[in-house]
Amino acid sequence: MSVIGGAVIWIALLGPVITLLTHLSWHSIVSSLDYPGALSPLVVSLESGAVTLVVLFVICTPLAWMLAHGSLPFPRVWEAGVLCSLLLPPLVIGLLLVFMVGPYTTFGNLIAHFNWSATNTFLALVIAEVYESAPYYVVGAQAAFSSVNPRLEQQAALLGDRPIRVFRRVTLPLAAPGLSMALAVAWARAMGAFGAVIIIAYHPYGLPLQIYTTLQETGLASALPYALVLLVVALPLPLAAYIWSARAQGRRRG
Amino acid sequence: MLKADVEVDRRDFTVRAAIEVGPGERLALFGPSGAGKTTLLETIAGLVQPASGLIELAGRTLTRTAAPKVAVPAWQRQVGLLRQDPGLFPHLSVRDNLAYARATGRRGAELAGLADALGIGDFLDSMPSRLSGGQQHRAALGRLLLAHCHVLLLDEPYSGLDAVLRRTLTSLVVRLVTERGVPAVLVAHELADAQAFANRLAVLDRGAVLQIGAPDEVVLRPAVMRVAELVGYLGFAPVGGLPGTVAGIHPDRVVAGAHAARGLVLTGTIAASRPAGAAFEVDLQCAENAVVTARLADRPGAEGAILTVTALDPPCFGPDGSAVPWRPGPMAGLPVRDGPVTRGAGS
Repeated sequence: MSVIGGAVIWIALLGPVITLLTHLSWHSIVSSLDYPGALSPLVVSLESGAVTLVVLFVICTPLAWMLAHGSLPFPRVWEAGVLCSLLLPPLVIGLLLVFMVGPYTTFGNLIAHFNWSATNTFLALVIAEVYESAPYYVVGAQAAFSSVNPRLEQQAALLGDRPIRVFRRVTLPLAAPGLSMALAVAWARAMGAFGAVIIIAYHPYGLPLQIYTTLQETGLASALPYALVLLVVALPLPLAAYIWSARAQGRRRG
Repeated sequence: MLKADVEVDRRDFTVRAAIEVGPGERLALFGPSGAGKTTLLETIAGLVQPASGLIELAGRTLTRTAAPKVAVPAWQRQVGLLRQDPGLFPHLSVRDNLAYARATGRRGAELAGLADALGIGDFLDSMPSRLSGGQQHRAALGRLLLAHCHVLLLDEPYSGLDAVLRRTLTSLVVRLVTERGVPAVLVAHELADAQAFANRLAVLDRGAVLQIGAPDEVVLRPAVMRVAELVGYLGFAPVGGLPGTVAGIHPDRVVAGAHAARGLVLTGTIAASRPAGAAFEVDLQCAENAVVTARLADRPGAEGAILTVTALDPPCFGPDGSAVPWRPGPMAGLPVRDGPVTRGAGS
């Protein structure tokens, strides 16, 4: 009985994916994607997503570690700050980003000296994706670091490792399964980022904007192949992270 | 050689302790839970900062709060700490755990030899989760020894294990630290564990070291009444002729019958009795409401019966709780509250 109930819920949740697969034919995929430059949104999405992940890992990992270790004063204030950008609708984030990094702002003027711009550029796309995915990564990474037994880090220090080596040899490997899951979630968010992107980075097109404009210009049917591409691109990393993390946990449990 | 003389502020009281442990010496810190034993170990390990004090290890100053100040960080102290949780790194094999400290190589003869001595030679390539609790503790001990730490701090490491395994591991530690001449400090709240390990025993209570000495000396000659209570003296009987003076009665140091030359003769009524291991434990109601507990080989009489016992060479304490000399000789038997008064020499 419970199996049937579970299956119903599971299928319902998978409904959109099943619908996508049943509404696509090989012919329509080929005809939609078989023209010069058809896959350039895919390349843009992959590149911006990869840069976003690197930025998140470098900037947000230390923050998550400090939050997990309680080494910051007033930890609730810091956590609330992280959650703020999670609570704001992406569309609003996009609007506010224009006022923050757009032309005629301090930041905009600063990077204008280098002939850069943070609107309608690859940089703008990365900024939008970072803001949309960062809270997911920070919250996930904080949980991953919190799950590391502090006594193990203490033991590593007593065995002669300075803090940075403790982090590299004990904290990071033990938090790795959780960190990889957090990165995978952030990746999926970055791939699907739309609200902030449409405001601040209409160009260059990533996959979500390509789907939106195709929908606007030529209709539902020709947008679907891009949805499939998005799914295929966004899915492998979370899946791989999930499998690897489950295997790593299993190995440690024995 | 470890020397520590520190004051550490805790929320409830200040730990003030001075200890010295020579090479190959084994000191046990014994005391009730919350006496500050672990705090003292963590201070030596550099995990807790003392309010004031001096810690020296193997000729190096690790902590000095007076000028010039010294505070060597934990990772440079070469102090080994073993807790109840063996703390093996779950993502590393047993071999990599053993070789974690940089002092040793992964395939060194020392590693293999020690692993065999610890009985974990066959598990070197397993993950720690495959090991039993006892084996994990052996691996954790090996890891500390291979790190060549200058002192071994053991924070009740085996209290979660059964008695037989605890004894086996304790004697293993004793053998290895003696062989290597490493000073070792064990924290224990079971006296038997402390005695099985130590060649010196320190009794701590509420942050203060009450007495340090040979394990048998501390138990047979407690310096103050509180030490006597902590090491298992269950009853205190007034000593006739010495007002305000009481004799500590340890259940294991009582024999049946009156032997005035060997100690204090007590006569009382049996308030309760129960089997205790292969012997019998008797609560004896003596004069002045003193209840003493004795462990006797022979089955005692029924409740209410009169029984005469001798507490062998008991430690005595004056009104201020400190030890006073005990003069062997005929002692007055003491009046029983509800029974016939039996004043006079026991034997």
